[in-house]
Amino acid sequence: MILLEPHNVIIQTTLGEKIIKPSSLDVAFVDYDGVRFHLSTPQSKTLLLLSMHIRCWDELVKYGALEILQREYGSLLQPQAEPEYNVSLVIDLEQIPASPEDRSAFILSIALFKRNALAAPFELAFKNQKALESSGSGQGELMEIHYRDEEAIYVQASHDRVTVIFSTIFADETDRIFGKVFLQEFVDARRQPAIQNAPQVLYSNRDPPLEIRHLANLRNTEDTGYVTFVLFPRHFTPANAPGTISHIQLFRDYLHYHIKCSKAYMHSRMRHRVAEFQKVLNRAKQEVATTERKTVTGRTMSTR
Amino acid sequence: MDGAFRKIDIDAFDEDIIQESELYEADPRDPAQVLEEARARQSSVRGFLSKNDVVGALTTVLENAPYGPNVEDAKTISLQTLLSILNNTKSTEISNVVKSLSMDCQDTLMKYLYKGMAMSAWADSNASVLLSWHEKLTEIAGTGCIVRTMTDRRTV
Amino acid sequence: MSNVLRPYLGAVRSTLTAALTLENFSSQVVERHNKPEVEAAGSKEVLLNPLIISRNENERVLIEPSINSIRLSIKIKQADEIERILCHKFTRFMMQRAESFIVLRRKPVPGYDISFLITNTHSETMLKHKIVDFIIQFMEEVDREISEMKLSLNARARIVAESYLLAV
Repeated sequence: MILLEPHNVIIQTTLGEKIIKPSSLDVAFVDYDGVRFHLSTPQSKTLLLLSMHIRCWDELVKYGALEILQREYGSLLQPQAEPEYNVSLVIDLEQIPASPEDRSAFILSIALFKRNALAAPFELAFKNQKALESSGSGQGELMEIHYRDEEAIYVQASHDRVTVIFSTIFADETDRIFGKVFLQEFVDARRQPAIQNAPQVLYSNRDPPLEIRHLANLRNTEDTGYVTFVLFPRHFTPANAPGTISHIQLFRDYLHYHIKCSKAYMHSRMRHRVAEFQKVLNRAKQEVATTERKTVTGRTMSTR
Repeated sequence: MDGAFRKIDIDAFDEDIIQESELYEADPRDPAQVLEEARARQSSVRGFLSKNDVVGALTTVLENAPYGPNVEDAKTISLQTLLSILNNTKSTEISNVVKSLSMDCQDTLMKYLYKGMAMSAWADSNASVLLSWHEKLTEIAGTGCIVRTMTDRRTV
Repeated sequence: MSNVLRPYLGAVRSTLTAALTLENFSSQVVERHNKPEVEAAGSKEVLLNPLIISRNENERVLIEPSINSIRLSIKIKQADEIERILCHKFTRFMMQRAESFIVLRRKPVPGYDISFLITNTHSETMLKHKIVDFIIQFMEEVDREISEMKLSLNARARIVAESYLLAV
């Protein structure tokens, strides 16, 4: 699996099972970026309550997350969220579409709960860009989404583009150096003709890009990296905007996932190589002849 | 109570303790004189090299090479002189040159090869040249030559 | 073995063979102790001249012989940041398994990446020329392993970047 999936597999499979065979349940689970979910049946077996907690919920609401969720889920959305969670959906298993295609599309849309909530700032930015384009100049508001403890996404619309900046922290030196190699490839890969149409990627280590340099709460140490995506209107035409949003949201997770994969691969490689060295060294060991020694009377000598 | 006496290195007061100077016989020559000689050899080596006499040049440097303490300058000059000879010798000639050296000279040459490699930060010491000399010298003089380099306290 | 590497490894091999003339030797300083003199450095007369074999500034081997033990330290080529971190990880990985590598030292000598300590017990219970073979093979393969790891990292990074950007 090279690309990460934007939907939550647990929601997808659990819903699929419960539709066929409703039963009471109470599960709590997590998604990327510390998003918590709670899926339960508080009243009856056919009434599922799905709640979500995102640490940057207040920011998302500011950028219109509630409207988007309202649009996506309509009456499923609960006016009052479950305690300790930010937002809740109620799914009535007796009122879901009957045909298999509609049913799986419905399940998928529920599984995209987190993706839809996080899509708010992106959709807003795309809308702002359209507005600014007609006026010909100017810049939209710089939207900050602090979706992890020390990492954030910044989205800003201009009259001809939308800039998305990720700040990311590399936990140790190996991550930092591997991350640099990966990001360098992101920058270089665009030289290939097949990828010419992809958004432009810029990478800077330690120094934040110009757009966010004025922010006070940046932590500029050696292990901080900034990745900038420049999206042009061709990337968010009504046809491909949803795909772009799902994809770009997961960039940070994608990058770190592959850094971890590389580390794991290096480790298994080293394990193999060291085992080979061990064999070579074992060849140097002499066979120690262990013959049984006996006394004259025939008793065996043993070392105490 | 003052515990400083515990830190005294009592072994240093042992009568049997071996001193650096007892490990080998000191060079009888005066440091200034050694330096003078090293300089003189440097110019005579240039003479030999202009006549393409590598064996003569090497023998001049390797015989009576400076050793021991207090003669760092002379050692440096000798090493530089030697490296200039090595760098100017064709790789095909090395075997014949090494063969015609006396055993003592071969041992001293080995010492200089290791010293040259230890000084790899120098611009004029070319590691690959030294390595090919080392290879040929080991072929001819054997590992005994390396052992003598390790055991001889009269470091160059 | 590549032709460029041959004289270097040849010099290490002959020097190591020459140095591997070890005998049992009890400490002169502490009674009833018997320890590697090259590590204890208690008495000067049993330590021999340390020798350095270098290929260039970044690749060298230090051999410190003594009467009952020798210490061999290797500085591995590290051209850039990636090779440095890979080399560090690899040597660390090996040194954490030092007990199964009998002759490996747990910590490298300052200025080097990995050190081996061969004592008279090792040279008595193991075949001497095979120990030398092991060291030489290690030196040969560690360079190759590190450059292969670097290549595979770059290849993976490329594929990852391309498949992400193609999907946007």
